[in-house]
Amino acid sequence: MTNNIDLKRMTDLNRRNALKQLAAFCGLAISASSLELLAADSHSINKISKNSPGLLSKTQIALVQQLGEIIIPATETPGAIGAGVHSFIDRHITACFSPEEQQQLVSGLARIDNISKKLWRKIFIKILPKQQIALLTDMEKAQGEFDNNDRIFFKQFKGLVMFGYYTSEIGAAQELAYLAIPGNFKGDVKFNSLGKAWAL
Amino acid sequence: MEKNIYITKTAEKFDAIVVGSGITGGWAAKELCEKGLKTLMVERGRAVEHRKDYVGEGIKPWEMDNRGKVKYQLVEDQYHIQKKCYAFNDATKHFFGNDRDFPYSTPKDKPFSWIRGNQLGGKSLTWHRQSYRWSDLDFNANAVDGHGVDWPIRYKDLEAWYSYVEHHAGISGAAENIPVLPDSVFLPPFEFNTVELALKKKIEEKYSDRKLIMGRCAHLSKPAPHHIEQGRIQCQTRNECQKGCSFGAYFSTQSSTLPAALKTNNLTIATNSIVHSVIYDANTKRATGVRVIDSETMETREYFAKVIFLCASTLGTTQVMLNSTSEAFPNGIANSSGALGHYLMDHLYGAGASGRVEGFENEYYSGRRPTGPYMPRFRNVLQKHPAFLRGYSLGGSAAREHWDKFSEKDGFGADFKQQIRNAGDWTFSLSGSGEMLPRFENQVSLHPTKVDKWGMPQLHIECSYSTNEIKMREDMADTAAEILESIGVKDVVKFNRSIEEWQPGLSIHEMGTARMGKDPKTSVLNRHNQAHDIPNLFVTDGACMTSSAWQNPSLTYMAITARACDYAVKQLKLGKV
Repeated sequence: MTNNIDLKRMTDLNRRNALKQLAAFCGLAISASSLELLAADSHSINKISKNSPGLLSKTQIALVQQLGEIIIPATETPGAIGAGVHSFIDRHITACFSPEEQQQLVSGLARIDNISKKLWRKIFIKILPKQQIALLTDMEKAQGEFDNNDRIFFKQFKGLVMFGYYTSEIGAAQELAYLAIPGNFKGDVKFNSLGKAWAL
Repeated sequence: MEKNIYITKTAEKFDAIVVGSGITGGWAAKELCEKGLKTLMVERGRAVEHRKDYVGEGIKPWEMDNRGKVKYQLVEDQYHIQKKCYAFNDATKHFFGNDRDFPYSTPKDKPFSWIRGNQLGGKSLTWHRQSYRWSDLDFNANAVDGHGVDWPIRYKDLEAWYSYVEHHAGISGAAENIPVLPDSVFLPPFEFNTVELALKKKIEEKYSDRKLIMGRCAHLSKPAPHHIEQGRIQCQTRNECQKGCSFGAYFSTQSSTLPAALKTNNLTIATNSIVHSVIYDANTKRATGVRVIDSETMETREYFAKVIFLCASTLGTTQVMLNSTSEAFPNGIANSSGALGHYLMDHLYGAGASGRVEGFENEYYSGRRPTGPYMPRFRNVLQKHPAFLRGYSLGGSAAREHWDKFSEKDGFGADFKQQIRNAGDWTFSLSGSGEMLPRFENQVSLHPTKVDKWGMPQLHIECSYSTNEIKMREDMADTAAEILESIGVKDVVKFNRSIEEWQPGLSIHEMGTARMGKDPKTSVLNRHNQAHDIPNLFVTDGACMTSSAWQNPSLTYMAITARACDYAVKQLKLGKV
């Protein structure tokens, strides 16, 4: 399998083939709603409520937004801001985090601003980009003002940004490769025929 | 599915009642219906209709509110045990029992995670689908080392039944001619990837007693005409099976046995019907039916039949049997032996090793294969191991590191994003699935005072590992690491999860508690899964197991169920049950 993989074509072909087989063998069952969902190209189902308020303040969201974009910046594809990772994080921690986890996140964010103020007398989003990068590099390496707990926080926060980004449509299907219905498993695909990693 | 197959109250006397609708209940219903018996399937949960009720299926991560994670408060309130199952997420949670409604107790120092699937189809909707035959190494094990009673059957008793169920269910895999793992009737195997093939070659050169084969699973890699007739098509390698599969590409009650049973017009189904107990007639010395509590209205009703199959899951079946008391059976129906509730087993998971494979930078794969490489048992086959009895398999796969492995690595920014896009190193892992000895003290009983919301006495579960299990798990991790190092895998890390992390029950292969055996004094069921004490009462789910072996058990449950149904119907026709 050395031919280039055309993701869009594969997606359409696999979906069409699978549905054709089902239509042939299952008769009326094809009208079942779950199959309509499978066939649907639109993302209109299960609409997510983008505007529902989370527990983070505007100031905290601005910080999360800035941190996210530093971790995953826009390149030839949008970065964390373009993928809406900051509002996802606000919603997600509100719905899926325990009160202790929520508190840890809020404290970790406050710690970043506190160190920023200590070093440069300004909160994180107001300091220069190279100062921001230096601060986060120190935090990830547990050096300078930061200790191992800060390092652990940064890894967890980075994991959350990555989760938000790579499970978004932009992260999964633009930045990486995503096939809802792969069709079959091939064990000898060349990486450069695809050119990027699978989203999952 | 026609609505009129569902009933609540009825005066009809059925030929057979099947309690449960999972892998064994589905098989029992199919077999009994096809042999002409008017059969009632009794299910404690709700109806789940193939395709229509797979509400989590086909929804992309970004279309889900919480990207597949379940809300914290919901987990706290209703799923604090189920959340430990690897397959539990926002798109599958409706196929897991609600922990608030299904309480049970354990001693403080013996935690047990009971993973439930209380709906039509049971855990056949969410199972891991790995499908392996047992061999006589397994059926002889108890007799050889004296742990547990001897199995009343051998491989030759099941061989034809394995073939029979495999043909219908569809098992993908390759013929390997390995004595400890007899070949099934196979659909084509899934492919290895390039790295796995290279490592397979090295392992097999290095170890004459070990082979790395492709995991055998109940997936239609290439459906046969009779699968297509069932309304099933080829596996699309989405690997999102536990959400339900509208393609019917893996075996479940809904995709495979239920359509076959319905085709006969002999099947009736009662959902939301919690079996309270089996009714026993002391005059005829027969089970005559079941008492049921309606899960929604709390009303009670009774169903009657000539023969009764209990397929309510290992612990579900035993709970019903313990609760079925009478003057003749004060300690639970068909329990003259006192073995009922004892010899609970699960499999040993959570120990192995993983590491990094150098090179192969331009090798990749496409599709999400629903199985992976598998190394059949090699311990205590030709040579006796000094530290423990019995053995284990090792399973794993080679894959490239994807974004979810990168948060632990240092770095951020555009370069970091590009590294993720380029895919990371190849990794290879092996982890064990080991046999647990049957021990009397691993047991379940009815709690003397606690009941659930329907008034059913709660199960009290006491289960722990013995030295044999602990030693075996250590060897799984040590040996997996040794194999990886010997074939050049780098940065090998061993893992052996603590009991708290991997409690008994979490392998979801609970077995035993109504075991088969030759002697009515020490076992509950005979070689036909028929209660020694009551000729028209059969148990064919995991409760019947006399030992656990090291293979995933569901295929053996299917074969045992089909065999028991054949016997029961023949005996019924002879007027002997």
